[in-house]
Amino acid sequence: MEVHLEQLDEDYVIQRAKESLKIDPYAAKAWMLTAKSLYPNNFRVQFDAYLIEKAAGNVKEAAKCFSDLISKFPQVTELWKEIEKVTAALRSETDSEEPENHFLCEMFKHISSEVQHKLLLFTADHCDDTMEHCRLLLLLLQRFPTAISSYGPRLVDTLMSAEKYGLDDNNCPINPYRKLLVCELLPLLAKKEIKLELTSKLLLKLLNKALEYYLCSLGKSNLTLQDKESSIETIWNKLFSVLEFIGRQLNWESQLINFTINWSKETYWQKLISYTQLKQRNVLYDDKQLLFCLPVFFLHCLYEYANSLVPEHCPGQILTPHYLVEAFIDPSLPNSLPEPKCKKRKGETDSTNPYITVEKQEFKSMQTNFLMCVNCWDLITSSETLHREFMKIHLHLNVDSWLSLFVVDHALYKGRYDEAIACLQKITDSNLLLQKYLRLAGIFYVKKNYSTCLEPILLALNLLPTNNFGNLSNNLVIGGNQRHLHFLPITRMAILQYLVKILLRCVKENMVKHDYSELSIGHIFVLVQLDWPQEEDFVPSLLEEIKKHRSFQYHLFHNYIINVDIMEELMYLWTPEGGQINLEIVPNLGSQRRISTRGADKGAKEELRQAIRRQVARSNEKLDELLVNFLQNERPLILQSLV
Amino acid sequence: MSGSSSEVNLKQTLRKLEYPLCAQEALKKIAELLCARVTNIKSMDLSLDLMAEFIFYELDRRGNKRCPAMSSLVELQLLQILYEFLNNIPNEASRNTLFLNLFSPITVNNRLGVLSKLVSLAIGIPSRSILIAASTWMQQLGNTSPSSCKLAEALVFDYAHLTPNTDDKLKNLSEVAPEFTANFLTAIAENYFIPNKESMLPPDVLLKCISDWVTDNSKLCISAQQRQALLPPGAIAMEATTPIAGLLRWCVLAPLYQHEQQIYSKLYLALLNSIMEIPRVNPPRAINVQHLTVIIQQLLQYLQDPKNKELLASGTNAMLQLALDRFGQAIQVALSVNAVYGHLDELFNGLNHLPNNRLLNIVIKRYNDSKGGPILIV
Repeated sequence: MEVHLEQLDEDYVIQRAKESLKIDPYAAKAWMLTAKSLYPNNFRVQFDAYLIEKAAGNVKEAAKCFSDLISKFPQVTELWKEIEKVTAALRSETDSEEPENHFLCEMFKHISSEVQHKLLLFTADHCDDTMEHCRLLLLLLQRFPTAISSYGPRLVDTLMSAEKYGLDDNNCPINPYRKLLVCELLPLLAKKEIKLELTSKLLLKLLNKALEYYLCSLGKSNLTLQDKESSIETIWNKLFSVLEFIGRQLNWESQLINFTINWSKETYWQKLISYTQLKQRNVLYDDKQLLFCLPVFFLHCLYEYANSLVPEHCPGQILTPHYLVEAFIDPSLPNSLPEPKCKKRKGETDSTNPYITVEKQEFKSMQTNFLMCVNCWDLITSSETLHREFMKIHLHLNVDSWLSLFVVDHALYKGRYDEAIACLQKITDSNLLLQKYLRLAGIFYVKKNYSTCLEPILLALNLLPTNNFGNLSNNLVIGGNQRHLHFLPITRMAILQYLVKILLRCVKENMVKHDYSELSIGHIFVLVQLDWPQEEDFVPSLLEEIKKHRSFQYHLFHNYIINVDIMEELMYLWTPEGGQINLEIVPNLGSQRRISTRGADKGAKEELRQAIRRQVARSNEKLDELLVNFLQNERPLILQSLV
Repeated sequence: MSGSSSEVNLKQTLRKLEYPLCAQEALKKIAELLCARVTNIKSMDLSLDLMAEFIFYELDRRGNKRCPAMSSLVELQLLQILYEFLNNIPNEASRNTLFLNLFSPITVNNRLGVLSKLVSLAIGIPSRSILIAASTWMQQLGNTSPSSCKLAEALVFDYAHLTPNTDDKLKNLSEVAPEFTANFLTAIAENYFIPNKESMLPPDVLLKCISDWVTDNSKLCISAQQRQALLPPGAIAMEATTPIAGLLRWCVLAPLYQHEQQIYSKLYLALLNSIMEIPRVNPPRAINVQHLTVIIQQLLQYLQDPKNKELLASGTNAMLQLALDRFGQAIQVALSVNAVYGHLDELFNGLNHLPNNRLLNIVIKRYNDSKGGPILIV
């Protein structure tokens, strides 16, 4: 027999296979079969055979070779590289345009499920990288649901400890391990047909992890504005389904964990209420479910409330957030609002509950969402345990921004002003300063701290939106005697209007402290101009006052009063018919008068007329700018009328 | 030719019927006689008489040979009767029993015409029942026996020569009756690549059909062995020879006869795949080593032929090397799955006489190294 020194037998056979590939694929395969049967324990030959099948694009044959390789040579590094390629391809299956990945995925399908299972498990066990290990196990569970009951709990443990020890910053619930745990593994575990053995402690821990994760995601997506309506909706749905799954495992009240069939906030609230009533009767009832269901429901309501405060807008328009502020009443006006009967009937016995108004009927959801939050919050705070547990959960959740706003709204609603002030004063976030000052101003006014009002008003003034002009609101003042809260849109006009209204009322109400304050009257004339003629009613009594004192001096007149109606009334007072009231409203005129002769009086009259004419000519000036100037420039004089 | 009165009566009654109408009645009676719970020599004899006189029209009432034999039209009527009757026997054992008796080894030479037309009909229509009976028949008579080979030749004539475009019918055959197809293939393999025979090479239509069959179903070759035929009580089932060795012989020899190669390459790979699919059994039963040795002999004959001497002298002839490569590959693959039975040493001794080929050397070396090793030689 000839000895072929130059080439090993196995290399010869493989080489023949490769040579034939281009000429005769059948022959190439025949050579390959021969090679494989000659050298069944030679990795090189078997692997080459696989590579040849792979290069030829023969899915089935490659799968066969690959299966053989896995069972015969599980320890060879080169095979591991190929296995890694396969698992990598499997993970990118959905977006795999790459031909090799596509081939490997197809090949995987032709491998017997036993070998598939083995492959994934082996790979996972060989993986030094925990993340990789978890991903592979997950892949295994996705493909072999029968493995879920045995490997699922193990993977839960791995992911939890990986999160605990494997991350530099393990406080952030949005991390890759948590994502795998919550978004990928939990849905697998939640499959109805899977039988799981998890302790209730672990289940509650899982629920907590999921809550943290989803609520933080909501917090994050909030920052990037509302384009993701749908994805946010799915986040809630996912969160609910986790609660449903865990609740089912823990045998919770089915009504409390069903968020899908005919679900509405109102019906769920009724279920919660009847559940709490049941609980009081039966103390043994596991109240973990209330501790989770109520907060989740509350946070959902809170989320919807926070969301409804920034109503949907037409494309291209600016988003306009709304904030709940203390608004005004006018007892002389007819009570135009319908009695909020239903609210009263629901056992909210406190008749001092204020009316809540919105800008437009379509924003009614702000009000209803708010009231549902109030219900929940009242229930949570009604029990010390509930409140304590909620605050514990809340600590871990990234929902502080919603909650801190709501707490202020809630305190306002309940008329607990000091509490509201305390909360507001903690706010330092520059995005929230405007609403902080707005609401402080409103509260100080209600508390009759008139002089304290000015500071927040001026601070708010500096923060007026520059790109959202808006309109004057019609609902800031209502009739009746009940307190009135309003969801104020954050636009330049609405805020200015609100601030001016507060200041106007502060000045007016402060007048009783003084005998005859011409300065205050002048200020009021300036302030009523913005929302004219809505604030017309302030004027007649002031005119009476002037008449009584027969003289009116207001040096800021020519700067800030351009309302024709007001000027007409004043001019009338000046006329003989009006009582020839002495008006000192033209700059320098007074001083001139004092040194002038009687003949000069006539010139002075003419000068007054001229001045009035000049003012009338300005009557088309922009009132918002005028008032902003007034407030900014005349701070000391305004303050005088507030002390 | 005498018998009991009931026998006489029976024959008298049948004689009143015209041929071939009487064939139908005779078949009923024969089926009854053969498939009765208790059969005896007498009823066997009677059924043979009835077949000869009333079915195949070979003898007259006095037992004399009829001359002339039946006309084509009458034969057609007879075929229809046979087909209908056999096809409608629900019990497979009864059907096989009747079929085996109708075309018994003693009588088949005379009845081969009717047999081949009947089977041809069963392929064309098709009738799985009759094909299974035919398959059983081939197996019991030996699927490489002259009768089987003649049947195969007649069928190939019908389907590859007379109607070469009806390859659909043939194509489906492997699905309709794989066990028949396997036996059919074994017989066909014997009919070609016989040196100095007039039509030495298989027709292209047939070749293509076979390579498709074997490619599409890698278990086809062993399907006759996989299915136990239902036989008359007391009959000994004969082992079917698989077509593997026979068809391998074609593929190994094809390069030497300069036949178109691609199709053989395909068929050859299909055969290798079929070998890989052979279930491991001990002792092996799929390939008889002697059927492989035949290939060596034929190769040697070819090389010793003065016409082909040149080829041997050069020793590097690509076609010869291809033939040897194929042979070596097949032996290696067959041995690796333990599919060969018989004295392997004989085969390897024979291989040593073949011209030098590196793969053969490797295979021989491998065999020598492994002797007494894990490969079981029976």
